Amino acid sequence: MQTLYDWSHGALIVAWGGYVVSFVLFVWAKMGKPTMRSARMERWAHVSVIGALVAHIVYFGLRWIASTFIPVSNFFEFIVFLSMMCAVAFLIVYRIAPSGWLGLCVTPVIVILMAYALAFPTEATPRIPSLHSVWLYIHVTTAAAGEAFFAIGFAAALMLLIHVIGTAPRPRKRDVWAIETVLVCVLIVVGFIASTFAFRLSGYEARFVSEQSTVVYAMPPIAAPYGYDVARMDAFLGMTQPLTTTPSWMKGVQAGRKWNTVLWSVSTGLILYGLLRLLARRPLVRALGPRLQGIDVAQIDDMSYRSIAIGFPIFTLGALIFAMIWAQIAWNRFWGWDPKEVWALITWLFYSAYLHVRLRKKYEGVSSAWLAVIGFVIVMFTLVGVNLVIAGLHSYAGV
Amino acid sequence: MFSSVKVGIFLIVLVLVGTLIGSLYPQQSAFVRPPPDGYYAETYGMAGEVYAALGLHRTYESWWFLTSVVLLAVSILIASIDRGIPLYRILRDQKIVRSDAIMRKQPVFLRYEAAHLPWARTIEALQSARYRVRTEGDALLAEKHRWSRAGPYVNHIGLIVFLAIIFIRSMPALTSEQMISLIEGERAPIAGTSYWIKNERFVIEWHEPGSSGPPVGEEEAIPKKFETTTVLYTCEARCETDDPQLRTVVRQPIVVNAPLRHQGMDVYQYGYEVTPQIRSVRVIVRDKQSNQEYGPIVLVTQNPKQTYTAGPYTITLINYFPEFALDAQGLPTTRSANTPHAPAYVFGITGGSAPEKGWTYVYFPREIDKERFRQQALNDRIGSGAHIDIRARSMSDVDIAVYTSTLVVRTDPTLPYLLGAALISMVGLIMGFYAQHRRMWIARTDEGQWVLAAHSHKNVYGLQRDVARVRAVIETDPHVRIIEQKDGGS
Repeated sequence: MQTLYDWSHGALIVAWGGYVVSFVLFVWAKMGKPTMRSARMERWAHVSVIGALVAHIVYFGLRWIASTFIPVSNFFEFIVFLSMMCAVAFLIVYRIAPSGWLGLCVTPVIVILMAYALAFPTEATPRIPSLHSVWLYIHVTTAAAGEAFFAIGFAAALMLLIHVIGTAPRPRKRDVWAIETVLVCVLIVVGFIASTFAFRLSGYEARFVSEQSTVVYAMPPIAAPYGYDVARMDAFLGMTQPLTTTPSWMKGVQAGRKWNTVLWSVSTGLILYGLLRLLARRPLVRALGPRLQGIDVAQIDDMSYRSIAIGFPIFTLGALIFAMIWAQIAWNRFWGWDPKEVWALITWLFYSAYLHVRLRKKYEGVSSAWLAVIGFVIVMFTLVGVNLVIAGLHSYAGV
Repeated sequence: MFSSVKVGIFLIVLVLVGTLIGSLYPQQSAFVRPPPDGYYAETYGMAGEVYAALGLHRTYESWWFLTSVVLLAVSILIASIDRGIPLYRILRDQKIVRSDAIMRKQPVFLRYEAAHLPWARTIEALQSARYRVRTEGDALLAEKHRWSRAGPYVNHIGLIVFLAIIFIRSMPALTSEQMISLIEGERAPIAGTSYWIKNERFVIEWHEPGSSGPPVGEEEAIPKKFETTTVLYTCEARCETDDPQLRTVVRQPIVVNAPLRHQGMDVYQYGYEVTPQIRSVRVIVRDKQSNQEYGPIVLVTQNPKQTYTAGPYTITLINYFPEFALDAQGLPTTRSANTPHAPAYVFGITGGSAPEKGWTYVYFPREIDKERFRQQALNDRIGSGAHIDIRARSMSDVDIAVYTSTLVVRTDPTLPYLLGAALISMVGLIMGFYAQHRRMWIARTDEGQWVLAAHSHKNVYGLQRDVARVRAVIETDPHVRIIEQKDGGS
């Protein structure tokens, strides 16, 4: 059994590498001067995505066999599945309108999502009885498929905004500031991934005890948990004592650990941003925007919209209708205003508003691109933030 | 006013904001028992206090939230009528010949110089691309997937029906829900019906380390499955008493995700609690003088039998206390009506070597109660202690129920209709988003001049592919020359 898990994990790493390679090829194909070679490069990038997806599917199949049920039951498995759906969604949209620009913006999203998933515990977890239902898996997979199209819509919209704001002769300060914030958020996610892996590799550990429980940190404590004593702490850069303590109002046994992780992610993200900014000597968007020359704004705008339009019915079916059917069977009520349900509804309402906004010609382009970006932030909050911030019935997802 | 998209978007955002506000802190309805006053202030401090004071802990029942949902529903309804009917008329009464100006506005527009177009082959090409072609003189209109335009309206109808059912459903008489907790062997009536329900057996399985499937963490046992074998009865007589006459309707194990269904009533496995209780005890009756043992007899803790026979003795249950206690006057009483936390049996024993009027004997199944209430001394005082002993031989004669199973009984006749409405919506979404209404016009405008225009409701790329097929037919004719061109790219 264990070897099967190992093989599936290996396939996953291969898939991840494949997406990285295709990203590099897309960059090569689109960000340089367009030549005969760049067209060939784009074809290879496309092939590389397909190859990575095959490895991704191999991972999925092996893990399914090893754990005897479809691997979407914990956070790691879900995010990996979501990134797989993103690759599928990308290939579908690419078939409709083949544009290397789309690959250029989608592949990094997949790469980051997968690395993000790998930062969480990858062991399969046993399932509580309410998870023994075919409907759950139908609901989760369909919802993820819908969200994957929203991710494509987001990636395209973000690229469009970077290009438009980055190359505008006199960009509005507010726009630059807003897009830089989005980039900082992306870098914070990267910071989370980087610090998690760095400390995991170095095997860092700090233990805290209170009368009731023990908390284990995998990252040096910038903030120790409130009301705990240090039991054992590895030194880090000469730091042998926690720098601060988590505020007392943060409840929950793991609140301290989560808060410390947030602090590490934010600071690593900000340092990364600072370094990049020093390197570019201007706002990142002003450095990136001109590199996206040759982009067809109207086409990218249409692709962003089309992805969301394709994803919306799938999302409705998966995240609302199937979810209600499952909730009816498992919890004997189809709707209970559980935070996760509420946020699925918020996501749905938001994208409904987006689709109605798109009915008016004047909101095409930049304004609707902003909405597509915000929409995906809501999607990610529903998937991640709700578990982190608001606990509910879905808290089994284990974040 | 309600028909404008702007107002619609505003109302969607309004409902969205309301929904969001309600998710900030747990809603009151999320608790099985309503939390005490001051809960929000205590748990969430100042912000929680304000939240509760504004009534936001009941957002989804608040008048303003419900009003915004109703307004949205009204807006959907009016907008659908206001836009849907004219659109239907326009599409039904389409003219085949359009003015040059209108043609020029379309995303694809071509002007040809030619005496004739290869008319028959053009129509053929359009038809093979699944267009419906209508002609009028030297003009044609080709259309495909017109029904896709109905998608948004079908979706909206589904939504309105869904919301309407939700509002109708909120009438309390229409649906019911009750939670019934039963320890193994216990039964209870389902309020408001003639049904009784019994937990015949409750089993729980745990995820075990080393079994197939994923590894289990060390820190906690995770239940794999819990199951209540449930019996549903109808009561036929004496329903108000402790001894109703019941007829079995169905006996079925219930697990999470697999409820018992019976005539519109669903019984769900909800949860369980660890509540060790004695379910029954097998005892023997010993005559202390002759040292003879009789029995065994089985004493249950739920609705015990009135009379028992053990050898020559007839044992009558004079009184039964499920949770024995002494009140302020020192008289025996029971703390709960049917929870056997400290069961006590008061027997009248006749026959055998008993005197005419019999003995009275008190029996506590639990060792701790025997000590606490001093069973032996008590029986000595009432005169039976020297003659009779009732006891279980060993712990294996005591049957203990460990778990109380919580079941939820629910009736909701609206569910199939809600599902139907949701599916209508879904069909509408698929019609609207996965098919595009495409139109192509070809007409002779002047002597020797032809115009081709095409329009697609969404997806210009698909349209361009269709146009390319038609153009391939037209432009292979050597006499045709393009003099104006707009191909839908931007």
